[in-house]
Amino acid sequence: MRNILNFIFRYSKWFVFTFYVLTSCILLVDNNVYQQSVYLTSANGLTGNIYGLWAQVTGYFHLKTINESLQAANADLQNQVLNLKSQMSELRIAKDDSLIESKNLPRFGYVAAAVINNNTRHPRNYFTINRGRLDGIEPGMGVVDQNGIVGIVNVSGDHMSRVISLLNETQRFSVKLKGSSFIGSLNWKGRDATIGYVEEIPRHAVYKTGDTIVTSGYSTTFPEGIPVGIVLNRVHSDDDSFFTFKVRLISDFKALSTVRVIKDVYKSEIDSLATFDIKTE
Amino acid sequence: MDKSIISNIVILACLVLVQVLVCNNIMLFNVAMAFVFIYVIIRLPMDLSVNWLLTWAFFSGLTVDAFADTPGVNSLACTLLAMLKRPMLYAYIPRDDRTKNIVPSLSSLGFAVYGKYLLSMSTVYCLLAFTIEYFNFADVREIVIMSVASAVLTFLILLGVDSLMARKDH
Repeated sequence: MRNILNFIFRYSKWFVFTFYVLTSCILLVDNNVYQQSVYLTSANGLTGNIYGLWAQVTGYFHLKTINESLQAANADLQNQVLNLKSQMSELRIAKDDSLIESKNLPRFGYVAAAVINNNTRHPRNYFTINRGRLDGIEPGMGVVDQNGIVGIVNVSGDHMSRVISLLNETQRFSVKLKGSSFIGSLNWKGRDATIGYVEEIPRHAVYKTGDTIVTSGYSTTFPEGIPVGIVLNRVHSDDDSFFTFKVRLISDFKALSTVRVIKDVYKSEIDSLATFDIKTE
Repeated sequence: MDKSIISNIVILACLVLVQVLVCNNIMLFNVAMAFVFIYVIIRLPMDLSVNWLLTWAFFSGLTVDAFADTPGVNSLACTLLAMLKRPMLYAYIPRDDRTKNIVPSLSSLGFAVYGKYLLSMSTVYCLLAFTIEYFNFADVREIVIMSVASAVLTFLILLGVDSLMARKDH
């Protein structure tokens, strides 16, 4: 017994060393342990508050560029409103004859949030927003900025949430060519924050350079048709039966400031449908 | 001893804040990034037991990881760096001095020894951190370029930090 104790004391530094190295390796390799604990992410209270304070100071620097893109988006929206108004007045006449009363409520709601910490230089980038569980944010919700999609909520603290950035090599997004039904998957491959790759587009897809890539709407995360990027060119693909496109991302990830988190009203309903078979079996 | 621990904790807290709020957001020429928070690991006195040094290093790495959302990267690199600290310093000082309690700094070791020690520590740390994080992501050449550039930047900034500390000590 004494020998064992002596042994442990003598080599204690190696035990401590091994323990810390193993703990680090678990954090490094096992994403699940990490994602389940809010405390070790930037969504925890202390980290969130410090980033929040800092963001109040540095938030002013990007105001000019953000203002410009907001004005552009605003003009675009105004155009859409005008178009829709004229369409509505035409439809209203038609609707008077109809027996069916429309009960369509908007399916998606938005929660505005500020980005308080943002990274683009890692292989796996995340950013932190100043809205959390108490604001109705849950993991799995989509996040967009004024230009297009930027990420998916990953961990929610009470007041802060961590979002998996689109610039994360582990995350894929379901997208399609605008105006068609050719579905592919968007993946970021690193280093350049303005370039992404859309894979698994069927070979018979008709496309041209400059086409817009939008979300497919095949999930509860993003509604259909949110812009993602512009097709730059076709690149070599590992699988001969699919196209791979190099895409210029629409959102400016280095200057994220205000984003909106998308809430799907039907999320729980769709999720319960997806698990229905499993439960009944 | 207590006083020096408290002052080290304060220095670490300041450097971690500088690291996560400023340095993590700046990548000079897209290759060079400064790791300032490792300064405390470099500076901790040599009579501190290895167990405490490892614990200190692991938790300072973990704190930066929590802020930067890089799970395990800095905590692993810091733990390995702490293990290499003693052999690294002892490689540069005469055998007789090894029994003394040295607090590694520019004023206690002189530029020649401290410079070599600091540069080795920064280089090892940058190599470790970038290799761990970019292992599957970038090629070896890119990792080496980033590590060397970051090591030089870290070295220069830490020299500055150390001379600030020296002024405070006087």
